[in-house]
Amino acid sequence: MPSHVYLLFTLAFYAVGALHVLLQALTRRKLLTSWTVTATLIGFALHTASLAQRWTEAGHFPAVGLHDVSSFLGWAIVLVFLMTYTRTRVEALGLVVYPVAFALVLVSNMTPAAESDDPILKSFFLPIHATLAFLGYAALFVAFAMGLLYLVQERELKSRSPRRLYYILPSLERCDSIGGRSVEVGFGFLTLAIVTGMLWSYRARGVYWTGDAKEWTAIIAWVLYVVLVLARHRTGWGGRRAALLGIVGFAAVVLTFVWVTVASGVASAAR
Amino acid sequence: MIVLVGLSHRTSPLPVRESLAFAKERLAEALQRMRQEAAVSEAMILSTCNRVELYARSDETTGSGTRLEEFLCAFHGRPLPEIAPYLYRLTGADAVRHAFRVAASLESMVIGEPQILGQVKEAYQTAQDAGTLGSALNALRNRTETGIGENAVSVSYVAVELARKIFGELRDKNVLLVGAGKMSLLAARHLVRSGARATVLGGRTFEKAEELAAALGGRAAPLESLRSELAAADIVISGTGAPGIVIRREDVEHARAARGGRYQRPLFLIDIAVPRDIDPTARRLEGIFLYDLDDLRSVAEANLRERQREAAAAEALVDREVREFLEWQKSLDVVPILIELRERADEIRRREIERARKHLGTLTPEQEAALDAATSAIVNKLLHPPTVHLKEIARNGFAPEQVALIRKLLGL
Repeated sequence: MPSHVYLLFTLAFYAVGALHVLLQALTRRKLLTSWTVTATLIGFALHTASLAQRWTEAGHFPAVGLHDVSSFLGWAIVLVFLMTYTRTRVEALGLVVYPVAFALVLVSNMTPAAESDDPILKSFFLPIHATLAFLGYAALFVAFAMGLLYLVQERELKSRSPRRLYYILPSLERCDSIGGRSVEVGFGFLTLAIVTGMLWSYRARGVYWTGDAKEWTAIIAWVLYVVLVLARHRTGWGGRRAALLGIVGFAAVVLTFVWVTVASGVASAAR
Repeated sequence: MIVLVGLSHRTSPLPVRESLAFAKERLAEALQRMRQEAAVSEAMILSTCNRVELYARSDETTGSGTRLEEFLCAFHGRPLPEIAPYLYRLTGADAVRHAFRVAASLESMVIGEPQILGQVKEAYQTAQDAGTLGSALNALRNRTETGIGENAVSVSYVAVELARKIFGELRDKNVLLVGAGKMSLLAARHLVRSGARATVLGGRTFEKAEELAAALGGRAAPLESLRSELAAADIVISGTGAPGIVIRREDVEHARAARGGRYQRPLFLIDIAVPRDIDPTARRLEGIFLYDLDDLRSVAEANLRERQREAAAAEALVDREVREFLEWQKSLDVVPILIELRERADEIRRREIERARKHLGTLTPEQEAALDAATSAIVNKLLHPPTVHLKEIARNGFAPEQVALIRKLLGL
């Protein structure tokens, strides 16, 4: 089967997950049933198959162009979500993750695959750099989601007349601690991604730093996360401000991302 | 079979319920008498301000039901004809369903109110202590006490739930009580039970604070140390009778600053005093969650709405529990074992007669009848003791592994 057929099935399974989570949120308190988890696991397996297939079809690691990038990012987000869920059992995260994973796979399904035979893409740096970067983005996405849940739960608590979300969302401290952990993990991956990106750039063009916009935004996002990680560790900074900074930091990452994929159409050091 | 006789806010006015309620001190005695006078093998009494219900296990339900009604009236010295119109009587599956619905608060005056589950638990515990709980009611108990009664409407319960939504885990959280009223004690007891540590600040009557601290397994401190205690606290319950503000906004700000780097840690303030103890403007501060009595009531109402929405889900849960319980009960039934045993014995008897016939030649009808009677008598005499004893033991109920053992012994 060609990769886009796998991807279509993936979309169907993620759609089941997304719909089910939202329906559950409207009717009951248990967000993730064994049903949802099974659908997600099948979807994820198909998604993995799709990526593997696409790798052979493209002749290089599938992380170039909107089609590949959104599919791969969706895959990384689902992977990080499944890992977070196994460790923490926080179901409310699904409320943010499922729609986003679905949207990313949908975008991938609707955009044509970009073909390129640039020799630089054959470099073994691409799979390493891209995987690190995407896992980093996914972890930062989880931090962003937990920050969002924190702010919503805080608003519910302060309203003194809580609505449905109050009952569904985890406690503030839990949002805070999972968000903090995700930032650390994401920060680690992002750092490694930047290092491998620089090495790749040096191997391909002889310079570590070309100074273009996407590199600047990546560095700005990285600095934001340094501040966040240090603030948490040094002063025990947490709560609302950490949640806000997690959201802002992720917004910076998204900016970089949109810049790289839509504006230039080619992944990191590909030019 | 489970038999239930009772009355509730749906079937009777308060004066009638009051006259038939069981006082806590007399419950043990009542349980013993109930078992004896109504001739039932197991007994449990649930007596709250909204309902009085007698749960029993008995093999003949009609007679037991009547005897339970008679006992209820006799115990309280009321004539049965006067009370009878208010009573309901349920047996078997209906009784099981009712028991689950009561525990799930689906039968409560205010659907979803949380106290009922605690009252049900206590009723089972009392029956267990009195030794009137057997396998059937015990099974009902185990299935009742799991998973039901999550949401809450009482103020102290709401405070605990809010704390859980802020802190998640309450273990090792510091609770500061300012003033030593009954409400503060109730709210704090819930928190302490969840693992929090209590500190009680006492004013003029320091002994009272020390008493309260001892009851909560915490320590007492003078009111003058408010600021330093506030800095160490995660949850504050304030319920003094003071005419004005006791905890000012500056105190809260100071406490936040004094937490050093960790000042982003949330502080949960509960003001249950009228007039209020805590400056209401403190709620605007970042990381401060301040609730007064009105706020708690409003959260309670939200909980209630949420619970009613969940009532349908709870009904489905009750249905499933009833089905599972009845299946479990059926598996313990001794009747199928007896039928199977008898059929098997009869089959062996016939087979052996057929085999013997070859050597006996032709028999006259009289001889035929005598042979049949003799072999039947052997089977019956052999099966008589196990049949009687099985029925007897079954009255107290079997555990599943006992049933398996019995089947094995009988070669079934």
